[in-house]
Amino acid sequence: MAYREPAIFAEDSRQSDHRQVFDLDVALNRVAHWLPTQGPIKDFVHHNTLHAVQHLPFHEGVATAARVFGARSYLPLEDYQRMYRRGRIKDFAIEWALDRVDCGAIAREQLRRRLFENDDNIYPPVSLANHGLRNAWLTRLELDLNAMVHPVLFRLLGNFLDQGISRWSLAKDGESFWECVLRLVHNSLLPLYPFSDRGTREYLSGNPDQVVRNCLERIVGDEQLYEQYLFEVLLSFPGWAGMVRIVEQNPRTLLARREISLKETVAVELAIELTFLQKKKGGHFPNVAAAVPETGAIPLLKDGAIQSKIPVHLKVWHEAMEWSLHSELLMAVNQNSRDVGDPVSGSTPKTQVLFCLDDRACSVRRYLEEIDPAIETFGAAGFFGIDFLYQGLDDAYPVAQCPVVITPKHLIRESGGNPDPNNKSRAEEWTNMHFTAHSMFRGWLYTQTLGIGYAARMAWNVFRPASKLPQIRSLSEVESHSKLHLHRENDEPTEDGYLLGFSYTEMADKVGGLLRTIGLTRNFAPFVVVVAHGSSSVNNPYFAAYDCGACAGKPGAPNARAFALMANHETVRRLLRERGTDIPATTRFIAALHNTSKDEITYFDLHLLAEHPAPGLHEFQKIMKKALQRNARERCRWFELGPKSPSNRKAHRHVLERASSIFEPRPEYNHSNNLYCIVGRRALTRELFLDRRAFLHSYAPETDPEGSIITGILSAIFPVCGGINLEYFFSRIDNSVYGSGTKLPHNVIGLLGVANGVEGDLRTGLPSQMIEVHEPVRLLVLVEQKLGILDKAINRLGALKEWIDNEWLRFTASDPSTRELFLYSKKGWDPIELPDTYEIPASTHSEKIFAGETETIPVHRLDRRHP
Amino acid sequence: MNGLLLANQFIPLAGFLLIFLTHRYDEKQIARISFWCSHALGLSIIGLLVLWATAGFPNHEFEWFTLYSTGEYRFPILFYLDRIGAVYLLCSGAIFSIIVKFCRVYLHRESGYKRFFLTIFAFVFGLNLVILSGSIDLLFAGWEIVGISSFLLIAFYRHRVQPVRNALRAYSVYRFCDIGLLLGAWMSHLLFHESQHFSQMVTLFDNQAMPPAGYASLFLLSVLILIAASGKSAQFPFCFWLPRAMEGPTPSSAIFYGALSVHLGVFLLLRTTPIWTYHYFTRFTVLIIGMLTVIVSSLSEKTQSNIKGQIAYASITQVGLMFIELALGLETLVLIHFAGNAFLRCYQLLVSPSIVAHLLRVEGSADTDFYIRTISRFEFLPVSIRDTLPAVLQNTLYVYSLQEGNLEIWIRDTFWEPLKRIGAVISRVNPWFKLLNIGCIFALTLLAVHADYLNTRFLAAPTALLMVLASLNAFGAQRSPFHVWNAIGLSSVLAGVAVLFLNPAASLDVIVFASGIFPAWLLGIIVLARLLRHDNFAYSPFDYRAMAETHPKLSLFLFLSFLGLVGFPISPAFLGEDLLLFHASGHDPWFALPITLAFVINGIAAAKVFQRLCMGRPSELNANAVAAEYIVTRGQHAIETSKAHKA
Repeated sequence: MAYREPAIFAEDSRQSDHRQVFDLDVALNRVAHWLPTQGPIKDFVHHNTLHAVQHLPFHEGVATAARVFGARSYLPLEDYQRMYRRGRIKDFAIEWALDRVDCGAIAREQLRRRLFENDDNIYPPVSLANHGLRNAWLTRLELDLNAMVHPVLFRLLGNFLDQGISRWSLAKDGESFWECVLRLVHNSLLPLYPFSDRGTREYLSGNPDQVVRNCLERIVGDEQLYEQYLFEVLLSFPGWAGMVRIVEQNPRTLLARREISLKETVAVELAIELTFLQKKKGGHFPNVAAAVPETGAIPLLKDGAIQSKIPVHLKVWHEAMEWSLHSELLMAVNQNSRDVGDPVSGSTPKTQVLFCLDDRACSVRRYLEEIDPAIETFGAAGFFGIDFLYQGLDDAYPVAQCPVVITPKHLIRESGGNPDPNNKSRAEEWTNMHFTAHSMFRGWLYTQTLGIGYAARMAWNVFRPASKLPQIRSLSEVESHSKLHLHRENDEPTEDGYLLGFSYTEMADKVGGLLRTIGLTRNFAPFVVVVAHGSSSVNNPYFAAYDCGACAGKPGAPNARAFALMANHETVRRLLRERGTDIPATTRFIAALHNTSKDEITYFDLHLLAEHPAPGLHEFQKIMKKALQRNARERCRWFELGPKSPSNRKAHRHVLERASSIFEPRPEYNHSNNLYCIVGRRALTRELFLDRRAFLHSYAPETDPEGSIITGILSAIFPVCGGINLEYFFSRIDNSVYGSGTKLPHNVIGLLGVANGVEGDLRTGLPSQMIEVHEPVRLLVLVEQKLGILDKAINRLGALKEWIDNEWLRFTASDPSTRELFLYSKKGWDPIELPDTYEIPASTHSEKIFAGETETIPVHRLDRRHP
Repeated sequence: MNGLLLANQFIPLAGFLLIFLTHRYDEKQIARISFWCSHALGLSIIGLLVLWATAGFPNHEFEWFTLYSTGEYRFPILFYLDRIGAVYLLCSGAIFSIIVKFCRVYLHRESGYKRFFLTIFAFVFGLNLVILSGSIDLLFAGWEIVGISSFLLIAFYRHRVQPVRNALRAYSVYRFCDIGLLLGAWMSHLLFHESQHFSQMVTLFDNQAMPPAGYASLFLLSVLILIAASGKSAQFPFCFWLPRAMEGPTPSSAIFYGALSVHLGVFLLLRTTPIWTYHYFTRFTVLIIGMLTVIVSSLSEKTQSNIKGQIAYASITQVGLMFIELALGLETLVLIHFAGNAFLRCYQLLVSPSIVAHLLRVEGSADTDFYIRTISRFEFLPVSIRDTLPAVLQNTLYVYSLQEGNLEIWIRDTFWEPLKRIGAVISRVNPWFKLLNIGCIFALTLLAVHADYLNTRFLAAPTALLMVLASLNAFGAQRSPFHVWNAIGLSSVLAGVAVLFLNPAASLDVIVFASGIFPAWLLGIIVLARLLRHDNFAYSPFDYRAMAETHPKLSLFLFLSFLGLVGFPISPAFLGEDLLLFHASGHDPWFALPITLAFVINGIAAAKVFQRLCMGRPSELNANAVAAEYIVTRGQHAIETSKAHKA
């Protein structure tokens, strides 16, 4: 039976805390903390990749994670040096960063010199999780256990969790993973590999708890090392382990519910491990505890021995880069706000446009204002303050249309006439036959008859991408001929416990709340366009990551429609009027969807305008079209294979092609290069060229004396914008560890995620095609508000305070009256001193600024000639 | 027409060389070259086929020159175009042009841009060689090129362990099945002498009464060809490697495993139809293989929870059906089927990422419950017993399908593991003891030869045994790459010696062989010494060391050395292998088996070493020790300062 090493080794230095007993649940919880938390790929929620170390200060957290995962912490040294030579990292910023390293004058000089020396080692450290105790032990046994266990385990997990790719589904109704595996092992004439003989099948008897304990006893032998071993086991397949954890904690993330837990997975894994050990090494193999004396130098997780070694010179470089880029905005805002007062307060604007705060709207807003200065734009989180579950006509299940931090209570359904669904679906069946023609005889028939036709189809798709044959509408392209059921007739909840629609009071709360948040409570224009955004792309499993982050990775169209319908409703307006927000009867709200990859716009519910015409809408549509074309050209500067000519139409044509080519892995660069998040009046940024790098949230500081509005805004933008920023950040810093590597070999697994090849681990994070041009810089949040009010707001943030206390994003404030700038730190607010010598570059047109540029551009001032 | 034949053959090679000379980051240039080459190839294929059609679809043969000839042996460079070749050529041309256009954008900014196009061009060169070759020898050369480029493309993302491992898996299957083709080539030399040209094969069997060779040897030859064909086309029992080969960029999987490479087995069978159809029994074997494949792979396809694996098994099923059609003699149908399957699977793989959006749509579009539940578990069964099928049988069927017919497990347990175990045992033996043994044998040999006690031919047997043992040693030695390389070298030397024993007149051939092996071995040893200068290999023998990135030049040389050792068609050793087989075993057929075995095992062993050293992700562990130490001291400094900052 189990091989027992003389207890001498196991107990030498660990005698002292011998009484401590291993608790499986506690250990699993602690270990699970390190797993990625990326849900199924159908909805993509950006989050801080390194949430596991978010309780630590940024640099320490990054260094710890780097050691555990074997990743880079910063960019390679040369990259910083190159940026310095290009002038993007400024000397004053280096000084600033050096100031923040607390060391003597001599050490400081040494450090400064070190910045310009070369690194000898340009490679990331070895991962502790994958080259720790377990690996040392396996090397000793000359056994590649992962290579044997993973294919079996992944196959089981993949088929058990599968959401519709397999023809036969493994899970029976209500069956847990453990029961399912037992069924295949014990109740099959052909037992599941590798449990082929009776002895090994014994390993699976009992409940998962017992199995884990028994296996650990035989494999590890020393209770002190159990947790470490589990940690290394689980981090050898972080993708699947993380997915199991998510499904365990929130079964609703799957369309077809599955019962699975990390414990069951670990139990199955360990049983398979033990079986292979038995097969290869017989009953008597030296266990892990026996290998400990030889591997004593390997740091263990629980000792806190994962020492973070921060490469100081890189840290200084990195902070210097961040400060250089951040101060570009701060200086521009500083100088800008000196000249500009509050221009909007006077005349009524011609049109008001409400966008998502998304950085991709940043340039569209600039162009709209550039073309017609009488247009006023606003930004707010793209769910427009209305959180609900949405079930579209074609959707089998409702999806949440709000940031992940909110749990919606309301369900909204879409209804509408689709004249002849049968007809259409049959046609679709034929064009999509290649998704299903796998089976034996039908496959034979199809390949014999239609196969050659695919030569033509393939050639057509590849050589003439934009001229589409009929194909699947991508999810983001929403049809606009339907109705939303907004109003709730009775208060009876649905089976799942949701309320079907909103009451008028709730509607007024939502609409009024948003209008107050963005400071639009008077001076309404004749029509207000509410622009949500989504993105369409083909052949792209990551399509959800391109949609609206504030809508949990969905296109925001339902929210925009709901908002416009609510705001147009007479009853809602009456309620709002009672509360002091008087929307004139002539003002119309119009919903629209901006397709960010194609740079096209769809307007919704225009037929409702028959009763209440909105004069000037036609003109606005023309302006919008023009703005989008110019926007397309600005985006094209990032595409190496894009047109270099100054023609807006060619550029627009190019982005259209991009979004509809099956061979294009980069339909757009979405949040690439996001850098700033500005919460304040548009006047602060209206005259600035921000290079599509800013999340812009409208906020009127004077309307918020208690700081309750800003609390709401901050608690949405920290996780949403901060999450986007850090996910891009870490995916860029080390794409193969934190990101999902290149998209090209990805294989869709069970509609859950992607993996390399057929039996790889699920990959989490962003693919290299999304982040390759990203400058990894932490987000700078600039809020226009007085410090006292902000302090109140910060205290109300709760756990989110971690974001700024540990500097996972930089938090600054601009005083609305004195225009002074302050930087937040754990200790309090510090006034920001900026060099006076820097002159903000200026230009008259956006196009002049970016023409010929292929890298990021510093903040420019736009000197527009106002009519 | 001959000119166009040559053009079809050499345009890909020209493309390969031009790209090789381009700087690796010069994406535009590479794209331009591949654009023009693919178009030129397309034009020349169309030109050739038009000419061929106007000439009335003849079976056209063209002998360019004779590469080597001694005595009876000739190795002509021979091309052949007929109906089968024409269909394959057309499809490969069309798919190649589409893939090149596709990849121009798809691989944009990918770090292995040049590597990818190089391999694709090498593949097409090999493929066209297979399609246009006029004899089995030349076909084998193309076969090897396709095999190596396949190996490289599966391991294209060498940072991750799993593609590297799967590349070795596919390569091992290829290599194993090469036994079939290598011995097949040798047998056809033996059986048909001059007439191993495909053009003459048809007429050879015209005379019904007088088969050109005995039934037994014809049967053996058929079986060998069948092994080669099944391996390449992932037929029973080799089905398992194809889905696992889907590791490279999607278009490369599409062109290799969806469209072209996977149909090469069918091509081989089409080419050698007269041989294996002569006997009903072999015909029947083909039918059985096809049927087993169809059953196993259509069952396996049911539980593939990933899209590429599903397409792979669907493709294997269709190839299995092609085998059945072949056995039934429906050649034209096979050609149509091939073209249809190639295009369809290629397209399916290219758009496989769309499956997420598509299925979400489908799940949504139905007003019923969604997709998974409406698909019944055993839809191929009649409704009446579908629900009453006992749970045990359901589970059994499911496990069978989940484990893909247990084929991989079976193959690994029967072939791979025993070899590995023997190899490990041998490699644990003290090297001095081994040396002593070999020394003794040689001394005995000399003694025997001098004393004229016995015919040297009898000595060939122990030498051959030693040769195989040396190869197994190479296979099992994991702790030192030098051991592996030396053992391969030794095995090759022993092969040469054994041939000399058998046929002392073959010294010239042995020299040809040695001229390929010896420099490759020497180069390998030098490169290994330089690569491992600062590396304590035995400390972590199972790590992938990523030297393709840390030492790109040396790694390239190691790769060349590897190609030389495995007798790749750029090395004289390729011709040498053929010659050794031909000469040595003309009168001693038994010798063909050990020598082929040794070649195959050597190839796998060398590939393993190459992978351990050159592939993987560079990390501090892999960087040389000095640098690592430096970082540690730096790091300590770092932690001190950062702590101070905190305080």
